Amino acid sequence: MNETELIKRAKQGDKVALSRLINTYSERIYNLALRILRNREDAEDILQETFLTVIEKLDQFDGRSSFFTWVYRIATNASLMRLRKKKVIFQQLADNPDFQESVESRVFVDWSQDPSLSIYDQEVKKKIDQAINSLSDIYRSVFILRDIENLSIKETSEILNITQENVKIRLRRARQFLRNYLSDYFEERLVKKDA
Amino acid sequence: MLDIHKKYIKKICDIMGEDFDDPTCREVLEHLNKCPSCKVYYDTVKKTVLLCQENDCPETLPEEVNSRLMKVLDLDEIYKDSKAHPQNS
Repeated sequence: MNETELIKRAKQGDKVALSRLINTYSERIYNLALRILRNREDAEDILQETFLTVIEKLDQFDGRSSFFTWVYRIATNASLMRLRKKKVIFQQLADNPDFQESVESRVFVDWSQDPSLSIYDQEVKKKIDQAINSLSDIYRSVFILRDIENLSIKETSEILNITQENVKIRLRRARQFLRNYLSDYFEERLVKKDA
Repeated sequence: MLDIHKKYIKKICDIMGEDFDDPTCREVLEHLNKCPSCKVYYDTVKKTVLLCQENDCPETLPEEVNSRLMKVLDLDEIYKDSKAHPQNS
């Protein structure tokens, strides 16, 4: 049975069809929430909240977007709402929309070829986690959907309900922020190694 | 930093993950061959994204999490049945 048929049956109250639809997306939704919130308990809450909303609003799903986009939009909004409530966001990006311009004053050191840079190094792993945690919600969501989940610019714009141009701008800022954040540490590491 | 670097740094981030055959990408890639500063910038942004991707470890949905989800959604009987008779699901 294809997805369109499953949706049709689920709308008519077929619980088996509904269950199959949920099983198709539950793991992806759990991981999406985990990536945004970086906490398993929160991810489970979002998983439940997402599918409760899906059931409640299934009748309103008109197929204009794909079912995947629709479910992802519900999950992303719920995750971002939770993130804002927890106030774990750092405002430096939102407060300074031109922060990326500061990159222009930096001297570029090429740490990209450093063979010791590996995620199996706990310190490197910790720094990457810290960098992503420091991204404010609007940049984090775009970065996760586009660069981690590998969704297209079009899908990302539909899920976040922003223009494709806006996706590109936010993605650029997110990447520049992460690069700068990690550069401070990686450059220092490179200097120490060469000393 | 020169204006030309500013212009290309913005373009570099835009083209990453895009179709490199696009004329805008070709222009940037050609510039990278001539500009060591922008090349370092490009390589370090690329490495940043790669490290973040490698650091990401998707998890299998834990059985107990799935079980609680189905209970909350009032689908636990169907879930138990589909586990007992996977050929019917």
